[in-house]
Amino acid sequence: MFNIIFKSDNCPDIKTSAEKGANLLETALLAGVLIDSPCAGAGTCGKCKIKILSGTLEYEKNIHLSDKEYSEGYRLACQCRIVSDAEIYLPSSLSAFKSDIKTASLSSRDELERYSLLLSKVFNSGIKKDESSSGFGLAVDIGTTTVSAVLIDLKSGYVKAKASAGNAQIRYGADVINRIIASSKEGGRTRLKKAVREETILPLISSLCNEAEIEPEKIIKCVIAGNTTMEHLFVGEDAQSIRLEPYVPKFLELHGKTAADVGLPISESAPVIFAPNVGSYVGGDITAGTLMTLIWNSEELSLFIDLGTNGEIVFGNKDCLLCCACSAGPAFEGGDISCGMRATDGAIESCAIDENSMEPVLGVIANVPPAGICGSGLIDLISELFRTGIINAKGKFVKEGARIKHDEYMGSSYVVAFASQSADGKDIEITETDIDNFIRAKAAIFSAVRTLLSSLDMSVDMIEKIYIAGGIGSGINISKAIKIGMLPNVEERKYSYIGNSSLSGACAMLLSKEAENKVFETASNMTYIELSTYPGYMEEFIAACFLPHTNALLFD
Amino acid sequence: MGFKRSPQTFSAKVNAVTIGTGEKAVTIGGENVFPLYSFDAPIENKPKIGVQISDRGYNNAVAGIAEYYKGAENFVDMAKKAALMPGADFLVLSFESANPDAENTSVEECAALAKEIAEAVDMPIVVEGCKNKEKDAKLFDKIAAALEGKNSLFLSAQEENYKEIAASAGLAYKHKVGAESAVDINLAKQLNVLINQMGVAGENIVMNLGSAAAGYGFEYVASTMDRVRSAALSQNDTMLQMPVITPVSDEAWSVKESIVSQEEFPQWGSMEQRGVSMEISTAAACLAAGSNAVILRHPESIATISKLISAMCDKEGN
Repeated sequence: MFNIIFKSDNCPDIKTSAEKGANLLETALLAGVLIDSPCAGAGTCGKCKIKILSGTLEYEKNIHLSDKEYSEGYRLACQCRIVSDAEIYLPSSLSAFKSDIKTASLSSRDELERYSLLLSKVFNSGIKKDESSSGFGLAVDIGTTTVSAVLIDLKSGYVKAKASAGNAQIRYGADVINRIIASSKEGGRTRLKKAVREETILPLISSLCNEAEIEPEKIIKCVIAGNTTMEHLFVGEDAQSIRLEPYVPKFLELHGKTAADVGLPISESAPVIFAPNVGSYVGGDITAGTLMTLIWNSEELSLFIDLGTNGEIVFGNKDCLLCCACSAGPAFEGGDISCGMRATDGAIESCAIDENSMEPVLGVIANVPPAGICGSGLIDLISELFRTGIINAKGKFVKEGARIKHDEYMGSSYVVAFASQSADGKDIEITETDIDNFIRAKAAIFSAVRTLLSSLDMSVDMIEKIYIAGGIGSGINISKAIKIGMLPNVEERKYSYIGNSSLSGACAMLLSKEAENKVFETASNMTYIELSTYPGYMEEFIAACFLPHTNALLFD
Repeated sequence: MGFKRSPQTFSAKVNAVTIGTGEKAVTIGGENVFPLYSFDAPIENKPKIGVQISDRGYNNAVAGIAEYYKGAENFVDMAKKAALMPGADFLVLSFESANPDAENTSVEECAALAKEIAEAVDMPIVVEGCKNKEKDAKLFDKIAAALEGKNSLFLSAQEENYKEIAASAGLAYKHKVGAESAVDINLAKQLNVLINQMGVAGENIVMNLGSAAAGYGFEYVASTMDRVRSAALSQNDTMLQMPVITPVSDEAWSVKESIVSQEEFPQWGSMEQRGVSMEISTAAACLAAGSNAVILRHPESIATISKLISAMCDKEGN
């Protein structure tokens, strides 16, 4: 056994031990050290960069490290094998370190305020909170790309701790279809369940409990909200039918599960409630989120858009609710984007570009040197690149300048931050491929909205309220999102950003049996529209793969 | 009560685009009715036919084509003969040999040939590239310069090289720009918008919406052309009002029906007749779906399609 010490700038050291040959990233996860690793150890994303302070690590070199970085001791944690005692430094802007999470955007004041505001609205709409009981509740949002969890004091309703991590299943594919295919291979269901339970959720629970300084057994209730596939894979259920005609999931609702049944290390008898699914691609994350929008209680026609790897859309009012889903890919969460990252410290979350000099002004979370771009930063950046004529309506670079690079293999790119200003001493740049991935993502969302509305013979002018949810960053700039044709062209005042509504919905369900019942009731009243059977959807999608849209009149 | 026919005309029109100069100049588009609906309103400009010749020659072509160009020693000779082909309205010069995988003929050589031909014939000229996007961008720049003042059409600018072609052929030398997309109404419109944003007016753009030989997924072509026309006329979509030119011969002469020999498939009959039939049926289908011009190769196809156009568009007795 070797002794491994993890150090970072503003946290106490964490000591652990590991066998010879153990993987450093896995060792870190087991010790409760959360290193951001979107590719979950496949060595493809280059995000889990650490620095060796002492000791040696066996390392397989790959393209994510420059020779200079290598000689300075930087390594990708996922590619390191432990062969001696070692001291590891975690650059805080690159990796969300255990107790750093507290200060990261996930529990930023904005987000917490938004959460308590939403919750109070729900409890003012005729839904009663349960009689206070002492103990803690755990709410988990299992996303395809990101898993978030909060620990709640059931008595006071306060958030005691919050954390999030990449879904470790990502190594089996970035989207739900690939996950399902992986799960259908021999032993696949066990592997995927293990990835999300042991490698993702269990470390989150231990870090939440550490932060709140409580024993996991004190957690006496748990609510899980995830999309249909994630819920299936979490309980180890066969998910094949989700992707095969007629696209009917194995279950819509799960009842009577306890922590012992699903293998969570909290109080054994704690009930585990799953937010109900509506169809194969509209799941518990949306039904829990819909609770928070209060659409079900409103006369106004409202639209609820959840921007995630799967984009889900709910439209209607208290009399009728329709929903559909589209595949947007992980771009909104920083995936599939060469310089993408989740909305944590060091992420560029806003951007403005000067038309003449082509110089950007960046807003970075926590005001540290930038390390990458999160979803809201991407919307700003692409909107600004387009406004200033640096890219054309197809997302291709058409201007030359000091910040435009051309590479034989990578294609053209725009340097958002030069190496001298960035956190890891490398240019942060956005490539044509990145822009293309983003345009597809925004096109998937917009064309789904159009198709859903046109299935009712309605147009965007009839929408009175639009709720945007998702982990794309704290403040999404609505006017810029409209300028690139991602969101419908209606007055900005009709929009509100409600953050991770799946997670706050799960919290509401933790605190109130009535809220839970309401979620089940709403879910059973939603009409699910399968876009893939709509012949016009593909054409709408191609039309939306343009800035802002092939039909420019929609964005006049 | 007798049947009263109400003509279906539109207030919007397809742009009329003129190619070439002088007496032989041709104008395509301009109509405000659906394709060949001459019973609703007179077709402003009848569909036109281009005769395609390749700088790689037609020595190995089917008998009818080889026979027609017999005695032509070079590309210029071929062009002179093609210019006299009955039924043809314009000349299509295909610089296939410039492809880096073929002879990789230099752009200067091609431009010199184009210039020589333009001086030898008075027919409008449409220039086709070598199907290599990078080379085409350079090739069209040189040829556009050589043909300055001839008001030619360049086929085609695609998403990958429209910038260079629009800037050179479209803006610097004032030719017409062909915008090529792959059988999709949205992609077609997007390319028109991009070329237009470069400064080339919509009235100087001709669309090549892509094609397929009849029976090879032609229903996509038909539906795309149909919807493009419908958007142009009934919705007054200015970014889809460009006339459509369709290179038929390349598709028609490369499918199995046109290239397997009679020895191999005796029951199929003459290969040449099969190819001609393919070319005629594809061209006729394109015209019915909305093409304002078709590009053909075989003299018999050109004569037949020319007759078809007259029959469909000319007033009775003409």
